Amino acid sequence: MANHKELEAIEEEKIQYIVVKIGDEQYGINIALVDNIVRMQKITRVPKAQAHYNGVINLRGEVVPVMSARRKMKLGEDVLTNKSRIIILKLEEQGLVGIQVDEVKEVISLGESEIERNVQNAKRSANSFINGIGKNGNDLISIFEISALVDEVDAS
Amino acid sequence: MDVSQYLDIFIDETNEHIQSLSDNIMALEQEPENKDTINEIFRAAHSLKGMAGTMGFKRMQHLTHDMENVFSEVRNDTIKVNSNLIDILFQCLDAIEGYLNTVKNTSDEGTEDNEVLIKQLNDYLNGGGGDAPAAAAAAPAEEAEEKAEEAQTEDASAEEFKTLKLDDSEKGRLKEAQESGLNLFGFTMHIHPECLLKAARAFLVFKALEDYGEILVYHPSSQEIEDEKFELTFSCIVGCAGDDLNAMKEAVGAVSEIQNVECAKVSFEQYDKDGDEAPAATESESTPAPVAPAASAAPAPAAKKETPAAANKKAANKPVTARTVRVDIEKLDDLMNQVSELIIAKNSIVSISSAEAKGADVDQTFREQVEYLERITTSLHESVMKVRMVPIESTVNKFPRMIRDLSRKLNKPMDLVMTGEETELDRTVVDQIGDPLQHLLRNSADHGIEDPQTRIAAGKPEQGTIFLNAFQEGNNVIIQVGDDGGGIDTEAVLNKAIERGLVSPDEAENLSQKEIVDFLFNPGFSMAKKITDISGRGVGLDVVKSNIQALGGDVEVKTELGQGSTFTVRLPLTLAIIQALMVEVRDEKYAIALGSIMNIEDIPTSEIKYVQAKEVIHLRGMVIPLVRLDELLDFEPKEEEPDALIVVVVKKGDSYAGLVVDNLIGQQEIVIKSLGKVIENNKIISGATILGDGEVAMILDANALM
Repeated sequence: MANHKELEAIEEEKIQYIVVKIGDEQYGINIALVDNIVRMQKITRVPKAQAHYNGVINLRGEVVPVMSARRKMKLGEDVLTNKSRIIILKLEEQGLVGIQVDEVKEVISLGESEIERNVQNAKRSANSFINGIGKNGNDLISIFEISALVDEVDAS
Repeated sequence: MDVSQYLDIFIDETNEHIQSLSDNIMALEQEPENKDTINEIFRAAHSLKGMAGTMGFKRMQHLTHDMENVFSEVRNDTIKVNSNLIDILFQCLDAIEGYLNTVKNTSDEGTEDNEVLIKQLNDYLNGGGGDAPAAAAAAPAEEAEEKAEEAQTEDASAEEFKTLKLDDSEKGRLKEAQESGLNLFGFTMHIHPECLLKAARAFLVFKALEDYGEILVYHPSSQEIEDEKFELTFSCIVGCAGDDLNAMKEAVGAVSEIQNVECAKVSFEQYDKDGDEAPAATESESTPAPVAPAASAAPAPAAKKETPAAANKKAANKPVTARTVRVDIEKLDDLMNQVSELIIAKNSIVSISSAEAKGADVDQTFREQVEYLERITTSLHESVMKVRMVPIESTVNKFPRMIRDLSRKLNKPMDLVMTGEETELDRTVVDQIGDPLQHLLRNSADHGIEDPQTRIAAGKPEQGTIFLNAFQEGNNVIIQVGDDGGGIDTEAVLNKAIERGLVSPDEAENLSQKEIVDFLFNPGFSMAKKITDISGRGVGLDVVKSNIQALGGDVEVKTELGQGSTFTVRLPLTLAIIQALMVEVRDEKYAIALGSIMNIEDIPTSEIKYVQAKEVIHLRGMVIPLVRLDELLDFEPKEEEPDALIVVVVKKGDSYAGLVVDNLIGQQEIVIKSLGKVIENNKIISGATILGDGEVAMILDANALM
């Protein structure tokens, strides 16, 4: 019986997440969507763009828009430190999009059994951007719902 | 036989032939007696048939074959050209295009047989000219001839052309050619036994020979050659004005997988005698059986039923061919040369860095080499851009046909005059400009040109004129589409605009003519009194405008009541690289396309005037509104106004604006990059570019600032 349980635990598919810090909280981003992580660099402002976009950066000759996770989730202004990083996501529809975060901590593997999907009242202000809460030891990690975080492709 | 590798070429060439046919059939309608045109048509139809056969597209081949029959009769003067025939021929062309599109999407020709068209063609053949049945009978005659000959093929394989058995019509052709002073040459080709594409090789051989003269006799028949119903030898007799047999032999020998060519001068008499010895062949020709219609009606009414299902299923597939650009070999040679130079320049820089020369010396050579490198990259840039440029011809040359159809449909005589078809534009633009232009032309034909009675009453020629002029102006290409028709009734447009609540009656009084006409570009705005299937549903000019704007262009209209109207489409020459002026606004750098800049002025602050509480400057007789870029770009206002402003005057069509900048950096070639898909499309920024130091700068869209 015990053997059987062990087997099940091993067979459960684990997904790797990049754990980032935004404000006091930790968030997880599915590593399959991440193209690259870059240090802070000069961000060129785009006039008249949506407020949560800091601007665009030059990533190896491509112009990539960078959004502020804090402003998107209404968690206040970005605080720049030397730990700040830009996570470059590579999405099917939107292409390359950068997300500015306060710190990149580690990469963890979580199985579905380690993620609490019932997050209705977990956190009011940001719960529309997450689809679950993972447990990593004593830490709680909110798993980003990327499609909610990143804007839809601008149709016009 | 796997022919898929030839699919791209097939599609390209078929397109060309269809276009050539369309052009020439139009010309034929104007001059039914012009032999050159008919020959040209015949050649194109023949090539089409040959290619379709080689690729195994039987239905397409069938249709083109019957078209060719008609052309052949026209060439022989046995049937006359009239507009009914032209109509049928155009329908055939449409059908061939239909096949081609199916081929493009599925690499198969589909199951549409177009039997109605084929029947029409054959009816025309039979009813149109007295000699037509005889021509139709030629097919069985040839067959009989082949049978008679089959027995002899084996021993005749050497210098086969000398022992060909000809039927009367072939003899007639030879006789006629010889009498008109042409030299006759016989050819027998031996194909390499391992050749996979015998028909294609034969086709290439015939193509090579057609450069010298006309091929009078094919053996086996051209049909059988196309179907690959022959062994390793085939023959033909060519009639040509020159007598350079060696050149011809060389041309044929140059076709790959042709092992051996035998050829010699021949004469009509040789074959005439042979003919007598083969009465079987001549006899069969005298039975006038109208076989062609029967044969063509026979295939596949059953197959037709499954057409919709099959078509639906296949339409979902992605196109099997990639979009290609055909490139002039010269342009490629230029590119190649520049790349070689680039490599040389790189090598010399490498050698400098490894050389242990003295400091100043190295510095000097290094600078020279960098300058050299800069020159090469600039011209390399230009060449690559040129490779992407294609003449708009490929898009506009379908319009004469369209206007002809409209003219007949609307019962209004009209003529399309086009100039500047050779003007080049980026391939992407050329591909997408077709629809908007077509729409404008339809508008002109339907709304612009009046009916003949009105025109005569107005003292105009009965035939209306629609024009399409293309030319380059600076960094733009201008395409004007217009007519000499009734023009736009601005009064009526204004009333309609008021009625639809687009403008209040009070405001309406102050509108300029141009502003009124611009209402036509509003979504859903239609002036047509009744809806026709040509235009008038109101999904028109707004779509035209947004399509053109999506290409980075713009459209304007000028009109004069009673005199006609002109739509001016302005398109950027290239989409990827532009010359730009770099400016600074506070601490940010912006690029403004050089093409839209008129001049740069130093304006003392004291010279700023106010009109309707807006800042303007008075410059050489023009009143130009000022745009404070810092305000527009959301900077805090400056605490202290400087004594003088740097103003970049930009223009769009006839309107101007003065952009106030803080600093000028200079002119630069910039590569346009998109801002990605998630940042909201904001009108004043048209894109971004990466500067030499890796920094990103926004490109201001001067057009949006007007």
